[in-house]
Amino acid sequence: MNISFNLLKNYIDLPENITPEQIAYDLTMRTVEVEDIIKTAEKFHNIVVGEIKELYKHPNADSLTICMVDCGLDEDKQIVCGGTNLHVGHKVCVSMPGANVVWHGEGDPVPIKESKLRGEKSFGMICAAAEVYLNDFFKNPDERIILDFTEEDVDCKVGQNVSELVGMDDTILKIDNKSLSNRPDLWGHYGVARELAAIYKLPFKEAPNDIPQGLPEYPVDIQSPEQCYRYAATKIENVYIKESPAWMKTLITNAGMRPINAIVDITNYVMLSVGQPLHAFDSSHVEGDKIVVRSANEGEKLLLLDDLDLDLSLGDLVICDTVEPMALAGIKGGKKDSILSDTTDVILEAASFAATGIRRTTKRFDEKTDASIRYEKGIDTQRVDLGISLALTLFKDIYPECKITAFGEAYPYKTDNIQIDIEQEFLDVRLGTSIATKEIEDILTRLGYFVNHLNGTYHCTVPTWRSTGDVSIKDDILGDIARLIGYEYFDAKPLPVNFEHSIIQPDYSLARKIKEYLSFRCGFFEAFTYPWVEEKFIKAARINLDKAVKLSTPPSPETAFLRSSLIPGMLDLIDKNSRNFDEFSVFESAQVFEKGEYHPSSNDETLPIHKNYVTGVVVGDDIKNLFLRVKGIIEGLSGYCQCESIEFCSKNQPSWSDSKVWLNICSGEDIIGDIGLISLASLTDSGIKNTRAAAFEFDADKLTPYPSRTNNFEHLPHYPLVEQDLSLVVDETVTWNEIKESIKYMVKDLKFVEEYRGEQIPEGKKSVMLSLKIGNDNSTMTTKQIEKKMNGIIKLLKTKCHAELR
Amino acid sequence: MLEKLERICQVGIESIESAGNLDDLEAVRKELTGKKSSLQEVLKSLGGLETDIRKSVGMKSNEIKKNFAEKIKEREAEIVSSASFVEGEFDLTLPGIEVNPGSLHPITQMCYDLNDAFRSLGFELYSEDDISSEKYAFDNMNFAADHPARQSMDTYWIDGTENKSGAERLCLRPHLTGGSVRYLLEKGAPARFVYPGRVYRNENTDARHERAFFQYEALIVDKDISFSSGRVMIDAILEKVFGRKVRTRMREGFFPFTEPGYEIDMQCLVCNGKGCKVCNQSGWIEVMPGGVIHPNVLKAANLDPEIWTGFYTNIGLDRLVMMRYGVDDVRLFHSGDLRFLKQFK
Repeated sequence: MNISFNLLKNYIDLPENITPEQIAYDLTMRTVEVEDIIKTAEKFHNIVVGEIKELYKHPNADSLTICMVDCGLDEDKQIVCGGTNLHVGHKVCVSMPGANVVWHGEGDPVPIKESKLRGEKSFGMICAAAEVYLNDFFKNPDERIILDFTEEDVDCKVGQNVSELVGMDDTILKIDNKSLSNRPDLWGHYGVARELAAIYKLPFKEAPNDIPQGLPEYPVDIQSPEQCYRYAATKIENVYIKESPAWMKTLITNAGMRPINAIVDITNYVMLSVGQPLHAFDSSHVEGDKIVVRSANEGEKLLLLDDLDLDLSLGDLVICDTVEPMALAGIKGGKKDSILSDTTDVILEAASFAATGIRRTTKRFDEKTDASIRYEKGIDTQRVDLGISLALTLFKDIYPECKITAFGEAYPYKTDNIQIDIEQEFLDVRLGTSIATKEIEDILTRLGYFVNHLNGTYHCTVPTWRSTGDVSIKDDILGDIARLIGYEYFDAKPLPVNFEHSIIQPDYSLARKIKEYLSFRCGFFEAFTYPWVEEKFIKAARINLDKAVKLSTPPSPETAFLRSSLIPGMLDLIDKNSRNFDEFSVFESAQVFEKGEYHPSSNDETLPIHKNYVTGVVVGDDIKNLFLRVKGIIEGLSGYCQCESIEFCSKNQPSWSDSKVWLNICSGEDIIGDIGLISLASLTDSGIKNTRAAAFEFDADKLTPYPSRTNNFEHLPHYPLVEQDLSLVVDETVTWNEIKESIKYMVKDLKFVEEYRGEQIPEGKKSVMLSLKIGNDNSTMTTKQIEKKMNGIIKLLKTKCHAELR
Repeated sequence: MLEKLERICQVGIESIESAGNLDDLEAVRKELTGKKSSLQEVLKSLGGLETDIRKSVGMKSNEIKKNFAEKIKEREAEIVSSASFVEGEFDLTLPGIEVNPGSLHPITQMCYDLNDAFRSLGFELYSEDDISSEKYAFDNMNFAADHPARQSMDTYWIDGTENKSGAERLCLRPHLTGGSVRYLLEKGAPARFVYPGRVYRNENTDARHERAFFQYEALIVDKDISFSSGRVMIDAILEKVFGRKVRTRMREGFFPFTEPGYEIDMQCLVCNGKGCKVCNQSGWIEVMPGGVIHPNVLKAANLDPEIWTGFYTNIGLDRLVMMRYGVDDVRLFHSGDLRFLKQFK
């Protein structure tokens, strides 16, 4: 919304020593956010009145004329101009070097410089009205017709800046509409003036609120009082279509609207001034000379001003004559009764409509107007008086010959003042400081409250313009006091200290440690993907959608399902990143969802089941290595993250894994996750070629964090251990686990070194190399003891695993 | 004879000093003091000399021997102390061997930084689940019944529940604030906690708008505290993020779940408050909303607003991370693009 300083002057005299910047700052801090300050005179910089003293033909161009112009400078200046109506004595508009003009009235402003036109020097430019932002003020039939101030009957002096001729010596504050959403009273200059008067403790000029008395009754019938709280109709005769006076056009323009004709401009000017929307009907088209406010009938139609044909339905509030709807209440007028060139009598509507109905209808027809924006904030019914009073004053002023011939209103619901009591103690504690009673009374009174202070309690009568939802509890009034004192004057207070207990949250620590382990120890990059997943990747991962949760209006039709696993997102990431990298590791930690019943906070609320999954992929080309890396990462997790250790089992093959290379991650009997190579099918269906990957996925909530560190110190060996390497040949079916289990109780330490298949090893066999340590607890081993022990180990390997030494 | 010895000594010392490594030095040592050395030969020839001369030559050659031994020892120490395992050149500008690369997402990093700051102030961590209901996301938060955010065009509603209402109408949470009531219902007051997380809005995306983004919210609930205590939270956030104290200001703002509500601005760090392009000449940048918990929200949490009060502050993590690193497109955070992620060590 635009706030014009010139329009504010009707309600407050702002001292000159308060700069616009200061006002913008104070409004921002205390009331609403000012986004920009526009000084309207600035765009007219160096655009002045000039008088043509001499005219010559341009030697090189028939369509151009050379003018000698008095611009109020020391000497007349030569300017080349293409205008067709130039004559000596013509008072023209000159853009001197340094001015910015809109060339031919179109596009962005262009700076004017001294130049040459077809070989002739030209100081600046003689302009048409549209080129210098004056088309709203002066006729501009053609860009070749140069604005003639003499002809326009404008009182001006040579050298005078043109902004002064049209009242554009204004300052405009651009206010962020969002910050106004809870303040219906600020949707007009009147309300903003009241705030400024309160901020600066200046006198505020109340607007008159007298409505016509003793006139013949104009019939008004409100049939939907729950949607229309008040409707006043005033008949004004003997008016006609003409342009508004220049001052009004300027103010309307500065306040952000466009002048149309005097009748419409009056309604808009009133709305911009006091915030009350008005509407004018052509009286001759109001059938039956009666206003009926009712809900539309199903199937009824209304042709709007802008030719939009609406199919109305029950619940849409319409303003009707005795026959049919004439306007969509509080939103837009209809075509039938609009003000036309032959209008002579008007019915002026000033009404209060319920905010919710306006909001609903606005949304349904997608019709937002300056009126509907105000109504949907909730306007008090008393404002109608201000609107009528100002409008009639303006009609009398602009149409001295007009007659007000009838007035009627229906007023089924009046905005009541809300009453709120606040205790001094409440204010002292919540404000963190004690504010003098006088100060509190002064602030509230200036804002329009009526305050009665008795025994430490303020009985506050909230003004009607704040009683439509904005102020309803004492905290709202506390806010008013605090903001007018200024939040910057309240010191930051230390928080109360509470040393009852230290914060121990093992679950959160575990979640963080898992992420840090993967990133800092395992070399993974953490990635985020969206919870809605492209169906292609869900299908590629062979994930069953039966239990999947779906969005009703998803970002796109392909992304309707919310993830029940992070693997599809990983497939997407592999696809994207394999274009740039051959090898990489990424992980994601996020919630996944499945249909089910879950009550996190109260039993009336049933949410789908949420799980906190951690999923990662290692991408490269060495298939075996990929899998074993992933396995090692999971094996090492519990050590770093101080949680219960993780086991593997082979129970259910994950839907996305290679048929052979996978394991389940187990905690006790429960499967809590999977690791595996991603299957060729899943990769292919995801569009991933020539890249292989292994993945892990587990439910982090199923890991139990240890409350503290748990591993115990073991004594260093008193006697040296003996390290021995063994190279075995075993059947392909013999697993490392079998080898390990068969001899682990004989050794102090056992390590897998490598597996080998090749020329020296027969078909169906493999070679396994291992390294072990043996030793005595109370002596150094002798050669004989070592030999004996090793023979025992070898024998055991032979019997249990049919292993031969290589 | 003595002159000959003198020459042997001189030549010997020169060859000791010119020995470049331990092997050369060993060869020199053999040459100078071995059985076939010129010194030895001189000593062998002593037999034919007069006693006096023999004596002085003997003394001289012993002296030279001793001298050689000392010089060799010195040279050996010199060689050892300047020795290198590398023969030839070693290109010291070669890159070091990388430790496992890998990193947390820049938003996680920021989040953990803030967690550390708030834990040090005695705040607990909390997290609400991603899917919530209209009751917790809007009703409890004092949103008007026809607030635009409740429309499907603003919030992602869950299929099959979109036409229900209250606790039965489910959505991807549009903000974190609903979680505050969940925490308070579970743990009661007094409380101080932070609850970071991802929120979802049905929006058109561009470089500044995302459908999924991160917020960081902090809340204190206590008896008899003033809203000015809330500034401590704000200062904690900004000091942690920018590594130094940042000037802030609170100004009037409006949110359904606060009364009064504030917009919190920080002094523009680019121009130090003088006014520049970044801050639109105002010297201030809007960073976060905050405010005193609305009594209706406290009531939703079964807390008596006559007894309890508190202060919210909520900060957009994406925006903060963008400011921290100069990231100019918010969509990169969910891109999963390693060319982006690898930049955050």
